[in-house]
Amino acid sequence: MPRPSSFPPPVTLSRLAGTLLLSCIATSALAQQAGVVTLGRTYDADRYDPQRSSSLAAAEVLYMVGDTLVTLSDDLKSVEPALAERWEVSEDGLTYTFHLKPGVTYCDGKALTAQDVVGSMQRWLTPDGPYVSTWKAGMVDSVTAPDDSTVVYKLSAPSSGLLFQMAQFNFIIIDPAEAEALGDDFGVTAFNGTGAFCFDSWQPNDAVVLTRHDGYDWGSPALGNSGPARVDKVVWKIIPEESTLVASLQAGEIDATYSLPSWSIAQLEADPSIQLAQPAASFRTHYVGMKTSRPNMGDVHVREAISHAIDQSAIADAIFFGTVDAADSYYSEAALDYDPTTDTSPFTFDPDKTRTLLEGAGFTMGSDGFWQKDGTPLTLTYYGFNSAREQAEAIQGDLRKVGIDLKVELFDSTAIWAKLREESYDLFQMDYPYLNAGDALNLYFSSASIPSPNRMMWNDPETDRLLEAGNTATTDAARSAAFMALGKHLHEAVLWKPLLLETPTVAFGPRIAPFSPAGISGAAFGTGLSLALK
Amino acid sequence: MSDTLTLPRRPRRLPPRLRRNPMAALALGLLLAIALAAIFAPLLTSFDPYETALRQRLQGPGNGHLLGTDSQGRDMLTRLLYGARTTLMIGCAGTAFGALLGGSIGLCAAFYRKLDGVLMRLVDVLLSFPSILFGLSLAAILGPGLDSLILAVGLSVMPGIARISRGAALSVMTQDYIESGRAIGLPDHRLLTRYLLANAYPPILTYTTLAFGDAILLAATLGFLGLGLQPPTAELGGIAAEGRAFLFIAPHVSTAASLLIFAIVLSFNLLGDALRDAGDRRAQ
Repeated sequence: MPRPSSFPPPVTLSRLAGTLLLSCIATSALAQQAGVVTLGRTYDADRYDPQRSSSLAAAEVLYMVGDTLVTLSDDLKSVEPALAERWEVSEDGLTYTFHLKPGVTYCDGKALTAQDVVGSMQRWLTPDGPYVSTWKAGMVDSVTAPDDSTVVYKLSAPSSGLLFQMAQFNFIIIDPAEAEALGDDFGVTAFNGTGAFCFDSWQPNDAVVLTRHDGYDWGSPALGNSGPARVDKVVWKIIPEESTLVASLQAGEIDATYSLPSWSIAQLEADPSIQLAQPAASFRTHYVGMKTSRPNMGDVHVREAISHAIDQSAIADAIFFGTVDAADSYYSEAALDYDPTTDTSPFTFDPDKTRTLLEGAGFTMGSDGFWQKDGTPLTLTYYGFNSAREQAEAIQGDLRKVGIDLKVELFDSTAIWAKLREESYDLFQMDYPYLNAGDALNLYFSSASIPSPNRMMWNDPETDRLLEAGNTATTDAARSAAFMALGKHLHEAVLWKPLLLETPTVAFGPRIAPFSPAGISGAAFGTGLSLALK
Repeated sequence: MSDTLTLPRRPRRLPPRLRRNPMAALALGLLLAIALAAIFAPLLTSFDPYETALRQRLQGPGNGHLLGTDSQGRDMLTRLLYGARTTLMIGCAGTAFGALLGGSIGLCAAFYRKLDGVLMRLVDVLLSFPSILFGLSLAAILGPGLDSLILAVGLSVMPGIARISRGAALSVMTQDYIESGRAIGLPDHRLLTRYLLANAYPPILTYTTLAFGDAILLAATLGFLGLGLQPPTAELGGIAAEGRAFLFIAPHVSTAASLLIFAIVLSFNLLGDALRDAGDRRAQ
């Protein structure tokens, strides 16, 4: 990893900045109090309603104030009890019967009943409602409550990934009566949940304050502490500037964070007062997608040629300072249903192969140093996020070296989604979190998802058939076989160039006792039950 | 009809006083040096401004790179030279556009008194926007690109130039030769260019030079805020923004770009001040 050579050691500078910052903020009212843990992050959510948010910012808080029926083990490979102490799935894979734990109460003291689960699902699945990610619920036929502690979840088509999806924060059981009463203010002014913490207050773009839910003892034993929480209060503090966030951590103004800029990891590692930890499994992959409907991009050889030109390990080592791993598959090899025999050779960095492949595809090298075919130069358009400018420039530089002209257009996160629905680009860059292979495959590759999120415009009957087979499988073996076969098929088609596999790194200060970060949805503090002060 | 009136076309000469001002000479020299270096950048450096080398990124000065490397491993000096080229070009084109438009509006407002009210209220509206906000909104509406940047910069400097032009032209309009020109039936365009503009230009020129500094600053600000040009084009504001993320570990990237912007803007301001002093009758 390249390190700047002729400058003062990074630690000295950041210490200086930390000291300066400390002198400014030491007088602030938030100076560490006993029993209070302050977590830092650079962003806030628009609301804290599990059925209307898809952001990490919302997930982080919601996992602390609410519970799902089931959760996942640390390696994300097995389903564990949460609000449901056990469940049965019918032979045909259509009926799920959940038995709720007794004695679960909301923050306002009300007991949780099966009716609340039914009410939560009914609100989320309201047709034409403002609710997001409803596809995760599967093809729901009905959700009913035969008694106060039993929920019957009926599907019209089997969904092999349902229990895994149910661990996601969108499935957090809300208080349907409160949601009804508050309307648009639900998750803004109040949130009555069954989580290890209670939603106390939210000052947008400043802080979310959570207090301990006394009497909470229904946490999943598989994930360590089942309750109650070991700290009195959690404050999610928003510090928009990354450098300031790092300095705040070193100054002790915040106790822990994982919204860390890559450059800071090495200097935090060198700081004896800071500890670093990563979840056992947490999947987020960065990739460059290729739009197969564009000129030349329909040719798998051209796609593979582009793939070989991009040096993902240089991006991992340099731009991310070695804090992420270079990827050579669409999803992690550690993810459930990844087939270890998948051919990843199209994704190696090998510019010589680019040349051979482009020659084979009928391109010739023009006098200007760029490839052309029938007099038309191989000029591609690339859409990316403003925040990933460095990756875009590196990819542009890599393609330029092999003679492919890349026009880069960057947009902010509010403008890009509409642009990505257009037919005006060849490559796009993005990153996404997932639980397992089935989750990733369902999100992106179905022909029903054209033009978004299937921005590759990949319309392939074999893909649809295998997806269907995987989704409707009623045994683990059948699901696994179908998703593995589909994964191999899609990797052969070179629809993406995988770039990086990112695992969040949590940095925490001297007040926090060592803990294992959680992996679901990238929300590394999970339910907050493992947070403790020394 | 022949032009029988002999009128003063160049009322005052500016350079002699300018030459006696050492700060102005220094500023002019520095500006010329930066402009020449930017224009002849390909001859001054052997590096390609677009050739990335990720594994050599963010290196400090040395190792064959006089000013180190940027976040993509490109030679900083080369990026700065090409960046100055872009920034100066946007500043020049934007100011020229603003001066042309603002000057025309100001002269017309003074010459055609009926238009005065309408034109000046329009200018007042534009003046009431902070120029950065105005430039930002324009660049955001028009989308990133060279044309929209030039337009945004030009429209931001235009109102000030229009005001100054009108003021300067109004004082010329009271002169007898304008009245005489009208009396002998000189066409409007001739009066406007040969007599009005020719006698009102010194304050306009001075203000335009001062506006140049603002234009460069605005261009760099838009670049810094990400509304500048798309990669890999080098632009000074963009380079300063790129280095901001690495201030703690590689301060040279932002510092070098910011110092260059500072030098250009300061030079323009010193030059503008000197021009104003030289043109100010009361100072003589």
